[in-house]
Amino acid sequence: MAREQGGAVEKENRPGFWRSSLNPWTVRTKNNPERVAFVLHRVTGFIILAFLLAHILETDSPVWSQIVYHVNGWAFWNHIMGIESGLAFRIGEFIVAGAVLFHAPNGIRLLLTEFFGVGVGRPGDPKPPYVPFTFTAAQRQWLYAVFVVWIVLWIIAGVIIFT
Amino acid sequence: MAMDMEAARRSPPKQVTVRIRRYDPETKKTWWQEYKIEAHRGMTVLDALLKIKEDVDHTIVMRYSCRQGICGSCGVVVNGTPRLACQTQLTEVVSDANPVMTIEPLYNFPVIRDLMTDFTDFFNKHRSVKPYLIRNDKEEQENPKGQYDMYPDEYLQIYQYTNCVYCGLCYAACPVVAADPEFLGPQALMYALRFVNDVRDEGWKERFLIVDTEHGCHRCHFAASCSAVCPKAVDPAGAIQSLRSKLFRFRLGLYKRRVSKIIGPPPEKGEKVPLPPEATLLPGVDLKKLEEEPVVIKLPEDY
Ligand code: SF4
Ligand code: SF4
Ligand code: FES
Repeated sequence: MAREQGGAVEKENRPGFWRSSLNPWTVRTKNNPERVAFVLHRVTGFIILAFLLAHILETDSPVWSQIVYHVNGWAFWNHIMGIESGLAFRIGEFIVAGAVLFHAPNGIRLLLTEFFGVGVGRPGDPKPPYVPFTFTAAQRQWLYAVFVVWIVLWIIAGVIIFT
Repeated sequence: MAMDMEAARRSPPKQVTVRIRRYDPETKKTWWQEYKIEAHRGMTVLDALLKIKEDVDHTIVMRYSCRQGICGSCGVVVNGTPRLACQTQLTEVVSDANPVMTIEPLYNFPVIRDLMTDFTDFFNKHRSVKPYLIRNDKEEQENPKGQYDMYPDEYLQIYQYTNCVYCGLCYAACPVVAADPEFLGPQALMYALRFVNDVRDEGWKERFLIVDTEHGCHRCHFAASCSAVCPKAVDPAGAIQSLRSKLFRFRLGLYKRRVSKIIGPPPEKGEKVPLPPEATLLPGVDLKKLEEEPVVIKLPEDY
């Protein structure tokens, strides 16, 4: 529809790949922690996905090691467990814990707002200084609660992981 | 964007450096150009741009019209934030410590020249959500015999959205528009809700089907940057979430709302119109008192 009618200008001078990909970082908006949450939600989502893939490889290692390296699977498992008790892996674990602990509570907030439309306020009659109703509605408090819960749980997770 | 009500009372630095990102379609070159201007109290970003255009460099291209935040044509990115140039005081974006401001064309729009961007796509998306009243009785709609009724609380369901000035700032701020150029965008989705909420409209089914796509309302991730930059507090972010929850209910077969009835032609002069029993009143309105001392609105003789 729009694409054809946009014509030459449309194709020739669309913002480039980098501008588009970096938009969440390059646009500056005031009073907008939702955007911080959006970026964090994406980044933590990628971390969790990467962890899941690595986790599948790890738990499956007694099987694939026999096929790939022709070694005893359980010996290989113990070998991997040995590597993973190192400090680098603990830091990795700590990062994954942080990712999950943000992604889950924020996901609940997003479910409430996006599917059930609650916490975003009701339309009304905006008055100066024109603060959007969504920014004074409950979801903003939930968002701050998410940040607090996240940091507290992450500290607890850190204590458990490193001691 | 919440307005800084004090900004116009402060004084900007005497001399302001304006860095403008320019684009020349003939040579296809983009470059930054710097201008120095004398600033005065009450000067807006648009005033600064016009001063440059008048006194320093006539070749700068920009778009503007009303100079008072009504036409929505002067949107630019000032110091990384999409803003209406005419509604932004210099004091909001520069200070004595940092008297430099950068001005770029709106993000996520193809640039035509300098600060002027192409809105074709934006308006096509707006049109694609059918931004007009749809009634089942087309015959009545073409040759109306009366008016559609609507109560104050129902009007509040759409009023905020009708404030949109089509400036495209929301579109420029949205991270999803940036990544997916087919995404309908905050403005169009907000406008779909404006008509879904309108009791005079019966076309919600059509609109739900239009926005219920991969590039429709499901694409939005509630970064709410659209609401953060909107100069009219239209709040597209909240609108999209409520559109999505209504769509959700519609798909489950649970979406219902009142459709306004046709009431008779407007009253004759002096005719008394009784309020229907289901009418809601604005706070502070006392019907009994009105009955005793009716408000008489005098029209001029030649009206
Ligand atoms: S709330 Fe949705 S439409 Fe608005 S900026 Fe965020 S992703 Fe874009
Ligand atoms: S919703 Fe707000 S920011 Fe978007 S086009 Fe309308 S007035 Fe501009
Ligand atoms: S010139 Fe009309 S909105 Fe700025």
